[in-house]
Amino acid sequence: MVISTAPSSQSTPASLPPSVFTLPQTAQLEALFTIIRDKETNRGDFLFYSDRIIRLLVEEGLNHLPVIPKTVTTPTGATYEGVGFEGKICGVSILRAGEAMEVGLREVCRSVRIGKILIQRDEETAQAKLFYAKLPQDIAQRYVLLLDPMLATGGSAIKAVEVLKEHGVPEDRIIFINLIASPEGLKNFCGKYPQTRVITGWIDEGLNEKAYIIPGLGDFGERRYCV
Amino acid sequence: MSDSLGTGEQSAPAELLEIPAGARPPLSRTATPSNTFGPGARSEILLQAKKNTVLKSHGRPPWFTRYDEDGHSVGDAFVIGIAGGSASGKTHVARRIVQALGSIPTVVILSQDSFYKRHSPEDLELAFANRYDFDHPDAIDMPLFASCLADLKAGRQSNIPIYSFTQHQRLDETKYLYGAAIIIVEGILALHDPALRKLYDLKIFVQCDSDLMLARRISRDVKERGRSVDGVLEQYLRYVKPAYDNFVQPTSRFANIIVPGSDNTVAIELIATHVRRKIEDHSRLYLRKSLARIGPRDLSPGDLKDQHFPNLTVLRQTPQLQGIFTILRDRTTTREDFIFFTDRLSTYLSEKAMEFLPYVTKEVTTPISKIYAGKQLAVNDVCGVSILRSGGPLERGLRRVIQDIRMGSLLIQSEDKTGEPLLLHLMLPCCIRQRSLAKKSFVFLLDAQIGTGAAAFMAIRVLLDHGVPQENIIFVTMIVAACGGVRVLQRAFPKVRIICGTIDPVLRESWALWDTLPSPPETADGELGTPTAKTKAEAEAEGRRVWVVEPGMGHIGT
Repeated sequence: MVISTAPSSQSTPASLPPSVFTLPQTAQLEALFTIIRDKETNRGDFLFYSDRIIRLLVEEGLNHLPVIPKTVTTPTGATYEGVGFEGKICGVSILRAGEAMEVGLREVCRSVRIGKILIQRDEETAQAKLFYAKLPQDIAQRYVLLLDPMLATGGSAIKAVEVLKEHGVPEDRIIFINLIASPEGLKNFCGKYPQTRVITGWIDEGLNEKAYIIPGLGDFGERRYCV
Repeated sequence: MSDSLGTGEQSAPAELLEIPAGARPPLSRTATPSNTFGPGARSEILLQAKKNTVLKSHGRPPWFTRYDEDGHSVGDAFVIGIAGGSASGKTHVARRIVQALGSIPTVVILSQDSFYKRHSPEDLELAFANRYDFDHPDAIDMPLFASCLADLKAGRQSNIPIYSFTQHQRLDETKYLYGAAIIIVEGILALHDPALRKLYDLKIFVQCDSDLMLARRISRDVKERGRSVDGVLEQYLRYVKPAYDNFVQPTSRFANIIVPGSDNTVAIELIATHVRRKIEDHSRLYLRKSLARIGPRDLSPGDLKDQHFPNLTVLRQTPQLQGIFTILRDRTTTREDFIFFTDRLSTYLSEKAMEFLPYVTKEVTTPISKIYAGKQLAVNDVCGVSILRSGGPLERGLRRVIQDIRMGSLLIQSEDKTGEPLLLHLMLPCCIRQRSLAKKSFVFLLDAQIGTGAAAFMAIRVLLDHGVPQENIIFVTMIVAACGGVRVLQRAFPKVRIICGTIDPVLRESWALWDTLPSPPETADGELGTPTAKTKAEAEAEGRRVWVVEPGMGHIGT
């Protein structure tokens, strides 16, 4: 039994686009992914462990928001030069798998507003197609955390950012959060929107012919809600 | 807190019974400890609970005669062995000594009766027919007796057997004992075994006339156990008397002191004075103060990577983390926000702490039938132990990371006058109580701050006493005071990992300015939100000195 604290399966591409940030690749994180990737994992565990990863992702994503200096007085009367949270934020989930990440977001930001976008692949053209979008009215003034657990080809994420831009959100105020990304998806997405930051938990090997991430974890929404 | 509650695995572990200083423990004679079964046992329980139970008049300093500031053991518990004939008054003497000691913190009276051997079916038949010689040395499991006593003497936990007199058998459960500074062993053969004799610091033989012992025995057995006079006499002549002559009486030559079985007030006074002096010689250590004053004082987040503190990990000081700390430190933060953000911080800390557990490779198949070579946790038992009350908020974070984690707790409070921490209560998960499991367990020790480090020092010491290896202890805390006890902790326990949210520069002694009940300095009432500040004069009038971490976040508790 070899005990280690370094991950064994990371295959990060040699050059990541500068706007991509991964969580610290620890054995602990890898163990979490191992559980949710395992097809034998039951739904309860899948929910619990994917929530833990999502929480870490959201914590990481929030670090990309600006803060302003703030001085406070502590209960002992000392002063402390700290920082205050500044920009207003909102979450936007790409239905339906993205919805699963809302809980994690709310655990960290209690009263955050959440918009929803429904994008599905048009079976005839294989293009991502917008079906529905409901976004907070003042979204143009907010930083947007875009939630979608799997970045495969990047089609729906690209479409979602397009929708957000139409609503007046500048590209650099969008932070795209996902659990697992494929190198192809990252390349497509960042090629299109170089100023949008991407926070991902793990970068996998690639895509199969059905555009599923390899080794991936299957269909996130399916496993979260149905299986 | 009756004895019957203490015997099960799941029940309260050590029964630290509270006896007000100077209170009289019950003096009535009880012959059978831990006999918690069968009809009529209930009423006897309260009388019997005092044996094989850690008694205390107040908290216990864990290094009580035992640890210096490097965490090394400097002495063992004081062990008194009391032998004498059946019904000679051994228990009476033991209890009078406890009583005469007054406010000595923690005493356990260990009874030989607990160590009767497990009987074979044949022996069992004899026992029920009153044909088994319980007074013979062979009836006692001396090696086990000696090893349990050696553990207790060295300050380790011990799980002593429980013997049921109604079933005439050793029960499967054991009784967990830990933390006595004085151990009194009593039994007719307490001085018989050489291995046991070696462990005593003071050997007492209670000398009593045979006719008096017989009279007491008849009176007790008839009244308390419903036996006939004939039956008692037969047993006496067949077993008790020969055993006394052959095995008990001869051991009086090993005794340091022979105490009369009645009218022994003076003898007991002498013994108590002797013990008290022995104990006091060692207990002049003011730990909190020495911890706060030690070492250079410039431990800033910048030089944490230096080789002196390889096991202190500070979270990455991200904008979010700084923001969270700003909210927590702000005295105007509402209670609701305070709770929310401590939760958020503690979950994050717990996630980070998980990184220090060992992992092994594991291959799984994903739903799209691909093999993934990943990792899985490789530990037998993981548990959390929180230092009450301020460790409480971190418990919730830990539960968000390991839902079903076992949680234990330690209540450590400062003594008002000296500010010295005392262990008032401990409740540890079974994976620590059993020494064999403790050796392989990983423990997250939770406390909101490390100021002087005294409470942390004590808590780590308690875990080590139980056999948890240093490298398996991960101390999770929000704030560490740079100039405080963290240095001492690292020196005393170099392999214990400490993970903290941030480092604060200042640790200073001040008057308690919070409207709280006496509680450990750096651990009290933060989630009052905005503590009601007292005026300095009021606080000084109360005369409570505390160590304050600055800028800090006030008192944190639940």
